[in-house]
Amino acid sequence: MSLLKINDLKCHYQTDTHTVKAVDSVSFEIKEGEILGIVGESGSGKTTAALSIMGLLPENTAIKGEIIYNEKVISSLSEAEMDRFRWKDIAIVFQNGIEVLNPVMKVGIQVMEPMNRHLDISQDETRGKCADLFRAVHLDPKWMDSYPHQLSGGMRQRVLLAMALSCDPKLLILDEVTSALDAFTRKEIRDLLVELQKKNGYTMLMISHDITFVSSVASRVAVMYSGRVVETGPVKDILVSPRHPYTRGLVHSTPDIFVYKDLWGIPGDIHTNSDFTGCPFFSRCNQKIKKCNESAPELVPVGDEREIACHRGGVAELLKANDLNYSYQLPDGHYLKAVNDVDLEIMEGEVLAIVGQTGSGKSTLAHILANVIKPENGKVTFMNESSNKANYGNKLNGIQIVFQDPFNSTSNRFTVLDAIKEPLDINKIWSKEERVEMAKNALELVHLPCTDAFLNKYCGELSGGQRQRVALARAMVMQPKLLIADEVTSALDVSTSANVMRLLKGLQNRRGFAMIYISHDLSMTLKIADRIAVMNHGRIVEMGNSHEVMLSPSDEYTKRLIDSKISV
Amino acid sequence: MRNDRNSFIFRLLLTLFVILVINFFLPRMMPGDPFSTTSDDDSGDEVIIMTEEQRQYYMNYYGLDKPVHEQFLVYLKNLLKADLGRSIYYKMPVSDVIMLHLPWTMFIVLASTVISTIAGVILGTFSAKNRKKGSDRIMMTGLIAFAEIPSFLLGLIMLLIFSVHLRLFPLAGAITPFAHYSGLGEQLWDILYHACLPVMTLSLAQLTGVYLLTRNTLITVTTKDYIRTARAKGLGEKTVWTRHALRNALLPVVTRAGFMIGIMMGGVVLVESVFSYPGIGMTLRSAVVGRDYPLIQGILLVIAVSILICNLLVDKIYSKLDPRVTI
Ligand SMILES: Nc1ncnc2c1ncn2[C@@H]1O[C@H](COP(=O)(O)OP(=O)(O)OP(=O)(O)O)[C@@H](O)[C@H]1O
Ligand code: SF4
Ligand SMILES: [Mg+2]
Repeated sequence: MSLLKINDLKCHYQTDTHTVKAVDSVSFEIKEGEILGIVGESGSGKTTAALSIMGLLPENTAIKGEIIYNEKVISSLSEAEMDRFRWKDIAIVFQNGIEVLNPVMKVGIQVMEPMNRHLDISQDETRGKCADLFRAVHLDPKWMDSYPHQLSGGMRQRVLLAMALSCDPKLLILDEVTSALDAFTRKEIRDLLVELQKKNGYTMLMISHDITFVSSVASRVAVMYSGRVVETGPVKDILVSPRHPYTRGLVHSTPDIFVYKDLWGIPGDIHTNSDFTGCPFFSRCNQKIKKCNESAPELVPVGDEREIACHRGGVAELLKANDLNYSYQLPDGHYLKAVNDVDLEIMEGEVLAIVGQTGSGKSTLAHILANVIKPENGKVTFMNESSNKANYGNKLNGIQIVFQDPFNSTSNRFTVLDAIKEPLDINKIWSKEERVEMAKNALELVHLPCTDAFLNKYCGELSGGQRQRVALARAMVMQPKLLIADEVTSALDVSTSANVMRLLKGLQNRRGFAMIYISHDLSMTLKIADRIAVMNHGRIVEMGNSHEVMLSPSDEYTKRLIDSKISV
Repeated sequence: MRNDRNSFIFRLLLTLFVILVINFFLPRMMPGDPFSTTSDDDSGDEVIIMTEEQRQYYMNYYGLDKPVHEQFLVYLKNLLKADLGRSIYYKMPVSDVIMLHLPWTMFIVLASTVISTIAGVILGTFSAKNRKKGSDRIMMTGLIAFAEIPSFLLGLIMLLIFSVHLRLFPLAGAITPFAHYSGLGEQLWDILYHACLPVMTLSLAQLTGVYLLTRNTLITVTTKDYIRTARAKGLGEKTVWTRHALRNALLPVVTRAGFMIGIMMGGVVLVESVFSYPGIGMTLRSAVVGRDYPLIQGILLVIAVSILICNLLVDKIYSKLDPRVTI
């Protein structure tokens, strides 16, 4: 049975100048004994949702929708009626701040206050119970006679917790209980919460922007973005396979989950235009379609107890390859299977790294995917179209490939400008002036000068790093949805290659295209990859989240690869 | 901590010294001297005219013919012996003159502070609770406009209305002259009866300040997180307002009240004159008119010291009320 149910809740703050839709059409429920986590970045409306349950929103808030506690509609109660539910039934641990506790009252008194009010017990009993509570949250009862400013942040957090537990509430709301604490105290509080929950079976609503913390305690999470719930589901599933583009961004930018990866936040900011009726994630989404601008997607079930609010059903598939095979004929007449029964798919905006030793078939695979060579059998579909029919390498928003060797990919006899706009020239995209303009933009993107002097330089006069950037700019003018980067840094020295890699990842993050990054260098790929596919003798022997592949490789070959990395 | 204390005491002594210097030299910088006042703006008094000989005699008698710095040293030496000198006009020790008048001033200052603080807090709370409603707007506008009236003018108006026209209150004095009381109660009643108008005037003059301070502090306090916490605990509106909001909002109000006592001790002069109330304010006025240097010095000293004491008390009380402050 659900202890708390929220139906289509809207909380709009009305200030003098504008309306903030802090919570917009939110529905969720919490079953008795369950811990539901709400995650989302700062300003997504988590605290507002919590306050609305307690009936504590300021007067300038327009509230619509229903909040049902224990089969009673509490959203329409008067202040006085609400007081009967507050603390006794629903208690809250507020987002820690120096003034959450009354500065001129001893903390013990503040903990005892609600007991005096709601419980029918004597003053001595109250004091005794208060001491017990202090002990329960691992705080010496001697602190009862202190003032809030005499306690540390962690101790105040414990006092707040003791206060919330004082009347044995059925539902406990925890708003950012640990965000202001250091890692050590955070773990202590986490353990404490788990312990208390086990012992007393509290139903909890746990709010935090720290998805790791929430998922270590909660069983289910709801991901909020700009006042809406965009994804819900069991914690494990969401962490392993986030389906909404926002959730994916959130999970991928969490250092505790992606241990090795460099941090790349979700580009852009929450839009603030309250009249916008489209998908709230629209401005930052890298797979938006026309419909996304027009209407906000509803939260719909997608099976396995998961719900997603996205017109495309979550992160969409971009490219899919089935049963790819390719062999080279060796001089002695034998065939070498360079690509052997490869299946793979790549999602919108994703970075897939393909690693393996030299000769494991990575480049051949790349060429097949880019439609440069045809596979013996099997097929590749890109944006639901077969690769044979639509030549997506020659179109805008298609697939572009950047090769290993910058000295081959750009001809010495071309000027920088010609080299970059060549694909546009060949495919007759845009007018002549526009092509030059695009070329200049692309140069800017790859951090090269776009002066006339540089534009008219011959590629032969450039350094390796510059040439690789020119090659990258050449790919970027086609605004690809998928960029295949084949060992782009292997010909460069360490420092230049690090720069090119950062540039590449930066571009990918900002522009939101998907990328297949091919490399034999495991440590480098770990810094940028979301997923890793390990290739050996033409086969993909292991594929998964980069951290999982790293931490618990299942294939022998992968293990050897990882060991060789560590032994360096 | 020790260092803090020492520097505190040092600052206090320095302040006192500066006050003494100003006290001493300010009256002597006024034109004229105690024995050559020829014109007197207090038209009721008779004009005293002395011969040059008499004047020399008196100047010598009070030590006023010595060089100024010597006079100052003598003044300091006597002060150390707790001797404030003799009043030239009253012909008795300055301390006696002050003791005669100070209680009256203290009485009306304290009474009006208490009254204006209580009334201001009540009105301010009411206003804050009804914030942005009509009653709040009207009250605020009214009180602010009211505060523009200078206190002596207010006193005059009150005097005209209640004493002259309605004859409800006496025109002057702190007690009925030559009265014989049948008991303590009657005497007390007489005192209250005389103090009523001056106290009311002073209270009204203070009211708006306290009211605005209470109202604004309360409005700020009610947006604080701990008020939300108190609400969340389901304590009920009354407890939230009194125990949590008002308790915090009173901190600056109490401070203000303390400072105001000090400031009023000085500002009371005009109001006392209007009601001819025999406090030190009125005494100071006549002392200035008569260039009664020792008396002026004495009264100014008492006023300055009481301001100092009030400030000290405020600090002490504040640290009691607000646990965050440690002295
Ligand atoms: N009293 C208020 N008046 C107007 N706007 C408000 C008010 N309180 C919050 N907001 C706005 O509502 C939005 C949601 O705020 P809320 O506090 O619910 O976010 P949150 O998810 O809890 O963020 P955080 O993680 O920083 O605590 C924000 O844009 C905020 O600026
Ligand atoms: S695809 Fe559309 S609906 Fe889905 S998250 Fe992106 S903008 Fe929103
Ligand atoms: Mg918050």
